[in-house]
Amino acid sequence: MLEQLNTRLPKLPSLAAVRKMQSLSRREMRNGLLFLSPWLFGFVAFTFLPMIATLIFSFLNLRITDGIFSTPKFVGFDNYAQLLKDPQAGIVPTTWFSSKTPSSLLITIKFALFALPIGILAPLGLALLMNNQYLKGQFVFRSLFYMPFIVPFVASVFLWGGMLNTETGWINRVLLFLGVAKESLPQWANDVNWVYPTYVIMGIWGIGNAMLIMLAGLQGVPTELYDAAKVDGANSWATFWNITFPMISPVIFYNLVLDIVGLFQYFLVPLVVNAGTGRPGGATMFYNLYLYKTFFTYQNMSYGSTLAWFLFLVILIITIVLFATAKYWVYYAGETRS
Amino acid sequence: MKKLSYVLSLLVIASMLLTACGGGTATEAPATEAPATEAPATEAPATEAPATEAPSGDKVQIRWFVGLGTGTNPEQVAVQEEVVADFNASQDNIELVLEIVPYESARDTLSTQIASGAGPDVVGPVGWGGSNDFYGQWLDITPYIEETGFDTSVFDPELVKFYQTEEGQVGLPFAVFPGAMYFIPAMFDEAGLAYPPQVYGEKYVMPDGTEVDWNWETITQVAKLLTVDVNGLNSTEEGFDRTQIVQVGYTPQWQSIESIGTFYGGAAKLYSGDTKGSYESTIPDSWKEAWQWYYDGMWGDQPFIATGPLAGAPEFGNGNLFNAGKSAMGLTQTWYTCCLADFKNAGLEFQLGIQPIAANGEVSGRIDADTFRILKTSKNPKEAFEVLAYLITTGADKLLPAYGAMPAIAEKTDAFFEVKSADYPFVTEESWNVFIQGLAYPDTPSSEQYRPNSIKAVARFTTFADLLNNTEGLDFDAEYQKLVDDLNAIYNE
Repeated sequence: MLEQLNTRLPKLPSLAAVRKMQSLSRREMRNGLLFLSPWLFGFVAFTFLPMIATLIFSFLNLRITDGIFSTPKFVGFDNYAQLLKDPQAGIVPTTWFSSKTPSSLLITIKFALFALPIGILAPLGLALLMNNQYLKGQFVFRSLFYMPFIVPFVASVFLWGGMLNTETGWINRVLLFLGVAKESLPQWANDVNWVYPTYVIMGIWGIGNAMLIMLAGLQGVPTELYDAAKVDGANSWATFWNITFPMISPVIFYNLVLDIVGLFQYFLVPLVVNAGTGRPGGATMFYNLYLYKTFFTYQNMSYGSTLAWFLFLVILIITIVLFATAKYWVYYAGETRS
Repeated sequence: MKKLSYVLSLLVIASMLLTACGGGTATEAPATEAPATEAPATEAPATEAPATEAPSGDKVQIRWFVGLGTGTNPEQVAVQEEVVADFNASQDNIELVLEIVPYESARDTLSTQIASGAGPDVVGPVGWGGSNDFYGQWLDITPYIEETGFDTSVFDPELVKFYQTEEGQVGLPFAVFPGAMYFIPAMFDEAGLAYPPQVYGEKYVMPDGTEVDWNWETITQVAKLLTVDVNGLNSTEEGFDRTQIVQVGYTPQWQSIESIGTFYGGAAKLYSGDTKGSYESTIPDSWKEAWQWYYDGMWGDQPFIATGPLAGAPEFGNGNLFNAGKSAMGLTQTWYTCCLADFKNAGLEFQLGIQPIAANGEVSGRIDADTFRILKTSKNPKEAFEVLAYLITTGADKLLPAYGAMPAIAEKTDAFFEVKSADYPFVTEESWNVFIQGLAYPDTPSSEQYRPNSIKAVARFTTFADLLNNTEGLDFDAEYQKLVDDLNAIYNE
């Protein structure tokens, strides 16, 4: 019996073989690092060091506009104290509704609350449509919906800017033609009430990528699960809620994280469409735009770095919270939970 | 401390670059796009090579820094190198070294150079805007003018005065860009209107034959008659459709809100006080009136200026209205002659009229001007002044045509206008002469003047202009007061 067992067990490698393997493994490790080195160098030089630099700056009073003869001084947490008092940054919720200057953080949160559900549901809805077996010409629709994503983002923003131009844009021209009074025409990006919907409309145009990821998730759901649901008499909603949604929840989670990070870093659209001025009524001075202007336009390196680090912390905390809550609603096939 | 400063300066540039280069996920794309304009900063060292050239013999090395204004195009670089060679050939004791830095990174490069104790001697050509970023660091050249007996009488005295700031005489006139009212005669003919006057002091003849001053009231009336809708009605006529404007009467072409204030209300210093905490906004009431007039011109009952959305429309040239043939008049400077290719190709013709009389009863013109300046940190200011004097006189013969700039020395203007006449053969001599007359009307202080916390203050003015351009039904007084309050805070930050 023992002999039989002995023949079935794999033989232990000899010491020489182990040494050889270690050497091979070392060589593989060395070669691997060699291949990785351009990226590592890029990471250290272009990501890690600047991060460290901005951390250092946030404790100095480095402002190029102060004159180039001035030597930056260590100011401790002064910049962080200023951040707490800065109404334009508006990181203290108690000042959100008492300050005359709109809080850029609140603006970002408000827009995120408006844009995020649409940013998740619209591609999901489209992906469900694209995945429908009764849809004819799926490939055509997929391509059409994905195509706008290929257009450079800035170009598409300019394009939409033209279409939504309150004076010459064809959308308002059509509305005028349909009998809408001039006074009732939407002022799109120039109106506090319309500016966020305008931005969302521009954003929706580029959801092709998210749609494609969702579609890939949908197509990865095993068909036997649907067959079983059918046998059990589940209706469409029950099938979606009990099978489709859990199975694609990792994909939704992935899009959710990216969208939230993207929304907190939102700034190109207001920079291009509203010239980065915060118009109308300060409603488009997003936190990241304020950060950009502080750092690059006003050249206040230290305070800009402080704003950047605060943003980093906010995004980090939200991401951690998201990952912590993921176990309650994100389902990974094959995962065992204690 | 100097080392620390140098290291920090490098870190600043590195971090700006890195922020610009930082990539990420697909959704992060927006954050990475805009700062990409900073990328040329990486090019700077490559073009600075001449700075490392060792001085030959016992000659004093003078470094000439180009990049804060014009002068970085390859054709211009070649001419500048030629001027440097000419100068060096004429010299026994000075060696002039040229440093070309791309415009996008020039400010940061110069900051870093000076911070690290390696600043150049001569900087230019540079306008007011570029100079303001280094306010307080320009040398007062008065002693060197006196010591060398440099003849300043070759310039219009007003232009010499133009460069007298609180820092002293910080420059001498070199390239000037006086203003004029560009107009399209065909549009005036169509409306049956007389052309704007072409000699300062001349009156304008209104449609009823009365002669009036060429002031802003006159321009308003004329501009309304030249603002036409799709049905051919002008802005004063019953049934004028403001949603279908096809041509406006007037545009302050590429003018800042401060320029609009200067033209309308006269040049003015924009702040008082001399130390942080004591600064105060001193925008004159006439500027407030100017901005109210400008706002009403766009959003009032009888518009004659394009609103922001209209001006920004592709049909209206994305802001370049006069070039697009969509504005009958455009008040701007000489440099605008650089950019009328579309206009000319469309078969349109323009002429030039005088700048209007401001609210104070005097002509309040504007002159954009580029010159060369010497940094206070120059170790050889006397030799640097010798270079500066050469560049604005002898060197100017080659440099000015390369820069496309009008000479500040009156006797050198013929060559400039010969080139311009070749470009625009339809422009009459009387029109070109408007520019020469315009040299007598500089804005002192310049509308691009220094202000404390300059970059942020200028940005606040721009935001105000953007608000006026794009917001109908604005509470003008409240927004104006907010501007003043914000400026008072910004100046003292």
